Order: sequence, then structure tokens, then C-alpha cells
Amino acid sequence: MTLLTFPKLFAKPRSAEVVRPERKLRIGIPRVLNMWSTHRFWTTFFVELGVNRRSVVYSSETSEARQREFGQGRAAVDCCYPVKCMTGHYGELLHGLKKPINVLFSPKITTLPSILQGEVRNTMSCPRVLAGAESTKAGFLREGNAFADAGVIYVDPVVHLDEPKLAARELFEALDPVLEDLTPEEVEAAIEAGFAALEEFDTSLRKQSLNVLRNCAADSRPAVLALGRPYHMDPGIGHGIATELQEAGYPVLWGQYLPLEEDLLDWLYRDLLSAGRIRTPFDISDIWPSSHSSNTNELLWAARYASLMPWIACVIRFSSYECGMDQPTYTPVQETVEALGTLFFAFQDLDATNPAGSVRIRVETIDYYLKRRAQKIIEQKLAALDTPPESFSNLGSIKDAAQ
Amino acid sequence: MNKVLQDSYQTYRPRPFKKDERENVTLLFGGLTWRAERALVGLFEGAGYKAESLPPATRSDLLFGRSLVDVGQCCPTAFTTGNLARTLKDKADKIGPDRVADEYVFVTAGACGACRFGQYHYSYELALRNIGMEAFRLFLVEQHEIDQSKDDDEGFQTDTHLLLGAILSVMMTDVIQDLEYQIRPYEVEFGATDAAIKKAVEDIYDAVRNRPQNKGKLGTILWHLTTDHYAKALRKAKSHFEGIKLDRLRIKPKVKITGEFYVSTVEGDANHSIHAWLEQEGAEVLPAPVAVWFDYLMRFARRKQQDRIGIHKGARKKQLMIELARRLYRGRYHSLCKALGDIPRHLPDQNELARLAQPFYDNRLNGGEGDLLVGKALYAHLHKVAHMVCELSPYGCLPNTMSIGAMAAAQGKYPDLLYAPLEIKGDSEVHVISRCQMVLTEAKARARSEFDAALKAAGLTLEEARARYEAHPEMHDPFWQVPKRGAVGTAANVVLELGGASL
Ligand code: SF4
Ligand code: SF4
Repeated sequence: MTLLTFPKLFAKPRSAEVVRPERKLRIGIPRVLNMWSTHRFWTTFFVELGVNRRSVVYSSETSEARQREFGQGRAAVDCCYPVKCMTGHYGELLHGLKKPINVLFSPKITTLPSILQGEVRNTMSCPRVLAGAESTKAGFLREGNAFADAGVIYVDPVVHLDEPKLAARELFEALDPVLEDLTPEEVEAAIEAGFAALEEFDTSLRKQSLNVLRNCAADSRPAVLALGRPYHMDPGIGHGIATELQEAGYPVLWGQYLPLEEDLLDWLYRDLLSAGRIRTPFDISDIWPSSHSSNTNELLWAARYASLMPWIACVIRFSSYECGMDQPTYTPVQETVEALGTLFFAFQDLDATNPAGSVRIRVETIDYYLKRRAQKIIEQKLAALDTPPESFSNLGSIKDAAQ
Repeated sequence: MNKVLQDSYQTYRPRPFKKDERENVTLLFGGLTWRAERALVGLFEGAGYKAESLPPATRSDLLFGRSLVDVGQCCPTAFTTGNLARTLKDKADKIGPDRVADEYVFVTAGACGACRFGQYHYSYELALRNIGMEAFRLFLVEQHEIDQSKDDDEGFQTDTHLLLGAILSVMMTDVIQDLEYQIRPYEVEFGATDAAIKKAVEDIYDAVRNRPQNKGKLGTILWHLTTDHYAKALRKAKSHFEGIKLDRLRIKPKVKITGEFYVSTVEGDANHSIHAWLEQEGAEVLPAPVAVWFDYLMRFARRKQQDRIGIHKGARKKQLMIELARRLYRGRYHSLCKALGDIPRHLPDQNELARLAQPFYDNRLNGGEGDLLVGKALYAHLHKVAHMVCELSPYGCLPNTMSIGAMAAAQGKYPDLLYAPLEIKGDSEVHVISRCQMVLTEAKARARSEFDAALKAAGLTLEEARARYEAHPEMHDPFWQVPKRGAVGTAANVVLELGGASL
């Protein structure tokens, strides 16, 4: 069975066979926040601009040790854990790399590309995600200029990733002083390539998820959905809970990479569509009308997907310590997930301490409930839905069995 | 019904509020200063609604709010949710929950973007459920949709006339509050200012309540731009302050209040009554006008269009329209200042605020107050507006924590800036007050040494300055303009004026 594994996320993309000016710079990018869902875009973008692939470097995954070594004393304010950790990533890029970087690139990604675009009010980042760079930077500027001292140019443009033309303008303005002879056309082309790479990557992960679900359907086995923000895939932020569950034998899917096959969506959402509750399978206005925040919107969307998809028998919800965006979603998400009986477990207030022991106990609890209840849940959800689509060709027998 | 539909979660949807219910239904609202709330009651009544503002939020509302909704709210959410729930419960105890659901609706602003302000209603909904009042109706007024007049049968019509009236109401209460805060610390007769402000707010209430009826969209815009109606009301309100004698030689540090919208504007438990506490401690407080935030929102919207010129069709035109609206808005505000003898401070230059903040907080980042707080703090320091900046930051606030973080770099660059970021949890008064006290002590010392420097520059002793001051009765008048002679403090500028000197 193919499972999603974290290292694949930040693997380098294939390079395209085009001639481009070579730019001998090393770009350091903090592996934080929405970089977890957009890194493919950024790597490809810089490669397209002529930066050697090996010269686009990301900081390591978050860890307590790294935070202590590189981030201590830099935090300018107490806030949610994923943003607080940014100082460690900045510090590592400035002081912890064998080969030093020339540019620390920390985009303030204001809006995100989203599968829900057009169905929701907006696809904004959380205010802390977009201003995290300002607050983190301050910690490196309050006593002198730590960037200049390390011989590093700090570049932190505002980028509207949901508006490619605007993003091209923003990135050209930010990088023009850093990359010699840069032209707006080059940036536009690099952006286009970046989005194509991102889409290709997302599609491949959705395909993998589809295969996981197919296999689950064939064996009538449960899968678990990890519901969180993209950076909960960082083992230092999400505490590797998903990995523990995989080790316990459950395939784990992430809400960010659920399959979008048309017939599958039609099947899952048929009742809601025909009753006029929603206009399209991507419509969440009936469960989350204040749909401004991109990651929150997708969280609610995935929660409903999980509530309907029969083989997702359990959802684990991640929330970081002091996350303000998650707070209003706790009840809507839980009630959405549990509608047809899907199990729901929340890991709230995740922060620095990695409570390996307690994670194990929780995973054992989840395992216990899944062993006892998964089959019933799958049957119950199948019974609530109509006939499964062709793409799940081997599902008929399961449905019959359920009935 | 099939199982999927029957079981799937659906967000709260209030049953409609129809026009024919208006006579029997009271609009509840809250979250502003008592002055603005009183004016808005007048506005709603004038438009044919029954209206009532919620009582001031208290600490027990905070605790009640916390107990009703999911953990981890920012403290304004907990305060306002608890406040609404407590009010409804009190009413239900008297007339029963069914009558409350039929006879009251709650209206609130919402949807300013990705921070929780746009999601308050989830907390309200959960609270309603937890107090067993799901049938109660609450409605959101979206900030960015100015005219929401829907079909004629809609009970609550937020048309242009109502919205412009609301803006003018808030402007009027902003300027009168600014006047009040400039007078009270220096009043010779204790309580005279408080008595005057009560009467003045009633004049504002009357004026808003009795403004002419809707003249259509264009008609109401023109009327609001040209009318003397509001200024006239303020001139009447001004009369209540005339005659209050001031001792402007009291040495007081000027403390500028900034921070998140709710905790910086209200005066009560929600911010540990910090305004009153500062005054008691001998400060002259510069309250945060709501109008600055609206001005900021327009500046932000302008920038948004500016960035898209050449990309989005019509962006240039929109940018110009927004800038025009912004200038008219500022012009209106300043004309209201004039009606009060030009004593209330004018709106700060938004371009300057953005310029000052830009190295520390990008002005294209939105959410909450954006770059405004960094800009205001630096503006107050560099333009000698205040000795100290007191920034009220709600516990758990998303954007505000970030701008406080960004201030670390600003403080590195301007080490002389006296800046007190205070985390408001609602139940940690001692901590907040003692932290504020520490910075205030330094501000007092600065006000004192500035005053001494002013005496020296003016070549006067304290006694001589006092004697000259007594000989100038016009300086005791609340509507005498304190000249700006290079000092921050009022007393220091007065001394410099008396000696014909500058710092
Ligand atoms: S979504 Fe939550 S965890 Fe993420 S940056 Fe915002 S407040 Fe922090
Ligand atoms: S600005 Fe801060 S305090 Fe105000 S609603 Fe948003 S998160 Fe809460």
C-alpha cells in the first residue's frame, strides 16, 4: 500500500530542459508555515530563475534542539507555536549551515492558491502566518542587524499567490535588487513553472490518496484522515502523530491531498447537492460561511469529505498551542466529522514538548476504537450513501454486504 | 429524510427578521464606547427601529463567555459573547426565552478578514446553543458591503443613509471624547467635565435621531457631505463645556492609547478601565478614535487597488475613488473638530503612518490593525504627540501579537520610545496595571524634566509662571488652543507660551 511520507514533500522537483541564465546564489528558505504546502512552487521558481537546484536550501524540520540552538533569545513575542518556531529556522539558515547562504528568503504569503477558490469568500493566510516574518525579523534586528552580520540579504516580499500576475510583480520588485539582470518576463515564466510543478505534485499526492482509499475499499479496511494546517506535517509541529498511526497499521491521508475525481465527488455529495444544501462539492457555505481563511476553509472542506467517505473511519485533528484560527472551528469541525459516525480525536495545544508517551497512549486508544468500531462505521457510511462510482469498481460487493 | 442530510452539521441560520416585525422588535448591539452607543441608539430610532445597547461588558461576562464557547478565544470574543449571553439570560429570566427570541435581535459587524473578528458569530452561535436560546436571531453587517439594502421586506436595512449616519455618529462621539479627555485632567472643579459630556452626548443623540429621512443613495451622500446638521449639534454640545475653568499648569505625562480595536476603544472591565486609571494616576490620556481605523481601512483599500493598476481593469479608477472618499471623510471629520473650536486632534496622516511603519511592518499585510499600531506608536514618539504609548493587546489576538513582535525592532531603532504593550486577559488586572505603572513612572519623570526645561527656556520660576497664567484668563478656557512650542506636555507648552520661548 502506498502511503504518504513526509520526506517526499520537500524532495527536489525535476528540472526542466531549458536554457536559463545561471545565478550563483544560495537561497535559504525557512521550512515553516505555508511553505509546507507551497515549497514545490518556490523551489521550481528559483530553479527557473537560474539558481542551482542544490542552492535552494530549506531549514530542517522543527525540533526542540534546533530551536534551542538557533532560536533562543530571538523571539520578540509569545504566540502560537508554529510562528514561535520561526526564529529557530531563521537562526539555522544564518548560522547553522555548512555552506552559507547569500539570501534569506521568507515570503509573506498573503493569499494561497486553493481548490476552493471561487467557492469561498477569500483564500487568505492567517494574520500570524503573514506577519510572522515581521515579528521574527524583529528578533534579529533589535540588537544590531544579524542578517548583515552574517553577510546575508534578507528578502521578505508580500506575495499574493492566488493572483499570479500580482505575485509576479511583487516577486520581481523584491528580487530585482538581488538577482542580476532580472526581467519581469523571466519572473512571470518562473511563476508559471512554479504553479505547474505545484499542481503536478499535488495531483500526484491526490492520486496516492485515491489508491490508498481504493485499497482500503477492496479490503474493507479503515483509513485515518489527518486534519490540520499544512505545517502539522512537520514532525516537530505535529509531533509525528500521523507516523505513529501509520506504524500502528493505519494508512493516513492528509486533508490537503484528498482525491478529487469527479465521479467520486458526485457520489459523496449527491444528497447534499440534490437537496440544494450546496451548489458544488467544493461549496462550504452551509457549514462555514465566514470563509476567508484558506487553510481553515480547506480544513472544514476536508472534515466534511471525511464525514462522508466510508473508508475514512477516523479523523485526527491537530491544533497548535495558542492557535487563534482554530478556536472557532473546534465545534463545527467535530460536529461535521461525527455526523455519520466517523471517529474524531483532537490533539490540541501541540507545542514544544514532545509528549512521546502520551502520544503513544492516545494512538493506542485510537487503535482500540478503530479495531472495535471501524467495520461498523464503514458499513454505516456506505449504507447512508448511494451506489459507489465506477472508479471504485470493486465496491459493489462491499455495499451489498453492508446492506 | 435521508441519513446524510438528516445528520450532517449545518451552521446556524437565523430565521428572517421581517419589516412588519420592526415595531415589536428591539435591535441589540454593543462593543463601542457609551457615547457612540448612545448616538447609534438615536440613529436606529430615527430610522424607525427600537434599539438598545448592551450594558458594559464586565469581568463576570468574560468568565461566562469563556464557559460557553470553545477554549482559546481572544479576550474580546469572550467579553462580547459573555456580555450578549448574560443580557439575553437576564431578559429571559424576566419575560421568558420565547419572548426574547421574538422581541429582540442582535446586530454586529463582522467579516473584516481572516482574524476572529470575522468569526465572532461562531462564538455567539455556540453561546446561544449553550444557554438554550438557539431561536434567538443575530445578524452580521459586513464592513465591505456598504449598501446591503436587500428586498423591501427585510427587517433590518443597512442602506447608505444608515451607514453614513453611523459613520457621522461615530465621528461626532470621537471628537467629543477627544475634547473631554483634553479637559478633564485640568478641570478645577472636579466632575464638571463628566457633567458636561453627559449633556453633550444627549445633544448628539437628539441630532442623529432627528436627522432628515433617507433621500436616496446620491441624495444622502450629498446631504452628508454638505450638511451643517451635525456640526450644529456639536456647537450646541460645546456650550456645555464652556465655562469650565482649567489649570493647565498641572504637569502631566501624555499617554497615547493604541491597540486592538475593542480593548483600546471601550472604557471598562474589558481593559481594566485603563483610561480612568491613567487619569487618576495623573496622566493626560489620548484615547483611540474609531475614525482613525476607518481612515486606515480606506488607506488599505487604496493600496490594494494601487498594487493592481495594470493588472485589474479599473484599478486606477477605483484607487482614485477610494482616495477621494477618504479625503472627503477626513474633511468631514475635521469640520466636526472645528465645530468644537478645533480642540479635538485631527486625524493623523495615514501616508505618514504607513511610511513610518513600513520598515517594521509591511502596510500590505492585513488583519486587525495591520501596520497601524506600529505607525501610531512611532508617530506619537517622533511627532511629539505623547510621552508614552500604551498598547492594549488582547490575550490570544492574532494580528496584534505580531505587531507587538515587530515593535521590538522599532524599539531597537528608537530606544527613547516609551512603549508599554499590555496584554489584556480581562482577569489579570494587577499584572497589567503594575506593568503600566512602571512605564508611566518614567513618562512622569520625562514630563517633569520637560517642564523644568520649559521653565528654563522661558526664563521663569514656577511662581512667576503661575502668576502669569492667572493673569491670562483666556488660557483657562477649554477652547483656548495650547500652542505647540516644541514640548509634548500641555503644561510645558503653556509655560513656553507664557515666556515666548520654544524647546
Ligand atoms: S493558523 Fe494558528 S497555528 Fe497557524 S499561524 Fe495562525 S494562529 Fe498560529
Ligand atoms: S483583532 Fe485580535 S482580538 Fe480582535 S477579534 Fe481579531 S484576533 Fe480577536
